[in-house]
Amino acid sequence: MTVWRLLALKFAMVALLAVGVGAWLTPLAGWITAFVALALLYTRHIHQLTRLEHWLKAPGIDNVPDAAGAWGVVFAGIYRALRREIRERDAVKHELELFMQAAQALPDGIVILDRGDELSWCNDTAARHLGVRPGGDYGLRLTNIVRVPRLAAFLQSANPDETLEYRPAANPGQVLSLKSIPFGKGRKLLVSLDVTQIERADTTRRDFIANVSHELRTPLTVIHGFLEHMRDAPVLPAEQARRHIALMSQQSDRMLKIVDDLLMLSRLEGGDAPHREEPVDVHAMLQALAEEARALSAGRHHIEVNIARGAAMSGSADELRSAFGNLVSNAVRYTPAGGRIALAWRIDEKNRPLFSVKDNGIGIAAEHIPRLTERFYRVDRGRSRETGGTGLGLAIVKHVLLRHQATLEIESALGTGSEFRVLFPYWRGNVAGATPTSNGASGAADVDAA
Amino acid sequence: MATSEHISKQFDADLENVRSQVLQMGGLVEGQLMAAIDTLMTGSEDLISRVIDTERRVNTIEKEIDDAITHVVARRQPAASDLRLIMGVSKIVTDLERIGDEAEKIARMARQIYGRGALSIPRSVDVRQSGHHASQALRRVLDAMARLDTGEAEKIIAEDKLIDTEFRAILRQLITYMMEDPRTISTALDIVWAAKAIERVGDHAKNIAEQVIYVVNGTDVRHTRASASTTAGDNA
Repeated sequence: MTVWRLLALKFAMVALLAVGVGAWLTPLAGWITAFVALALLYTRHIHQLTRLEHWLKAPGIDNVPDAAGAWGVVFAGIYRALRREIRERDAVKHELELFMQAAQALPDGIVILDRGDELSWCNDTAARHLGVRPGGDYGLRLTNIVRVPRLAAFLQSANPDETLEYRPAANPGQVLSLKSIPFGKGRKLLVSLDVTQIERADTTRRDFIANVSHELRTPLTVIHGFLEHMRDAPVLPAEQARRHIALMSQQSDRMLKIVDDLLMLSRLEGGDAPHREEPVDVHAMLQALAEEARALSAGRHHIEVNIARGAAMSGSADELRSAFGNLVSNAVRYTPAGGRIALAWRIDEKNRPLFSVKDNGIGIAAEHIPRLTERFYRVDRGRSRETGGTGLGLAIVKHVLLRHQATLEIESALGTGSEFRVLFPYWRGNVAGATPTSNGASGAADVDAA
Repeated sequence: MATSEHISKQFDADLENVRSQVLQMGGLVEGQLMAAIDTLMTGSEDLISRVIDTERRVNTIEKEIDDAITHVVARRQPAASDLRLIMGVSKIVTDLERIGDEAEKIARMARQIYGRGALSIPRSVDVRQSGHHASQALRRVLDAMARLDTGEAEKIIAEDKLIDTEFRAILRQLITYMMEDPRTISTALDIVWAAKAIERVGDHAKNIAEQVIYVVNGTDVRHTRASASTTAGDNA
């Protein structure tokens, strides 16, 4: 409307000028004036039209042409429309970015698949889970990179209630649960959930009952057999009876040990902090443990102890003794005859007390290491039982260390041996020598007793 | 115009399907190989029969893929890079099938070793290590094929020597065992066969890597180790 009015005004001015000149001079002069004025106007329009065409080749908000009059109105309109467009686009872009960031932050892996199961987007978690490269692998079929035979059929069915258990070959021990959810036109959302821990806890719980029953049943079967035998043949030669009783008491010892360990575990699991903080004479404790280890080894191993006199820390002597003892006896059990076992106590570079047991025994395969501290978890069932383990030793170690804010580091390679390191927080080493400090004066007697 | 575009789209889909099928087969063989190496450590009869059963499936899939390749060649007459893809893929299928054979061989050796009742298996750690390297090489080469990543393929070709060296080391150690105690000879020989099968898997992985390079670049890098190293020197 405004453009129309401006144009009409121009025409009126031209007409007025032409009529004025025509009245003043001759009518011909009026016509000529009208023609010249219209031609000028027309040239100007062509000029602006060319500028518009030029701008359209590279339209941008910064180079929208500017002009006076009717063209100015049009150019300003274009500028405003463009600015509105850009603002809306930025808002949408911002929202999309926010959405992408949210998807990225999800703890589960998210993969968006196109119609042919081609990867179109994934978050970092999914990339880690499935071994795909965000960006680089977009456009590739997911089944080409995650080559599990069952995956193709699973994606085909696209049933959101179904889950696929996937154990990535590149990361042994990890268990993922995959879900495929159809959305949009033929697209799929693949969600991957790391269920390693859940699965492990599930198995542990299930195994625990079975294990406890089995562990207690084995010695009981032996005792039961002997008792039955005695009932049927009450009079046995003295020598045989003695042997049977010896075997039975050996088995009952075993049961007792398992029950003791179970009770110890449940006690340890009960509380958070050690029930008693006292200065512990580590030097004496480890010397005693080394003696016990030598007795257990019966000269089959070379056992060395590398502990400075006066080594001490604060904690619960009973619990620490049990934890260290388990580590040492494990080393003796799993090192073949002729092996070397080294116990060491030192203060590391960060001032933390560090206890280590190193052997050159059979070693532990990498996939077992994270599970070693589970109750009744055994790398080699037969071997562990024949050497007299209860399967609870490292579980006890773990709980004792938890209560002492310590961490257990296990370094092992099959065939070359293992090193178990216990790292205590630095402040546990703040005990002046083995002499009891003022607040732990009553604890000295306990250390000797332990 | 519309129909020709339709045809070429269909052609691309056919090619992509063949490639997908081969990678799926690769995944199957990958799992089979890892299970086979596990049987060497555990002797699990269950796992052994599963590995042997998989071999039959691998053979069936090989035939299917061969059929699909013949169809694509006959109906579409591919040229240039498409032709290279089809040629390369058909060779890769053969290598994958051979890897399946080797996996089966490993499982059969495991059955023999454990059937004999040998409790301790000399050098089993090294065999496992070498098996781990071979299955890793297979996984990586299949990834390289999915991504058409020649850099990775070249790395795999270079690293095949490591598996070869490991095999020779295992062999040397087993010979010492056999000389020390002749009773271990039959078990040790079975292990040699298994280790050899693993070493062959490494070679097949290398062949696949060479085909990947051929598919992408159109250059044949087979049997050209010396010249390849000189050109690399020239570039540097």
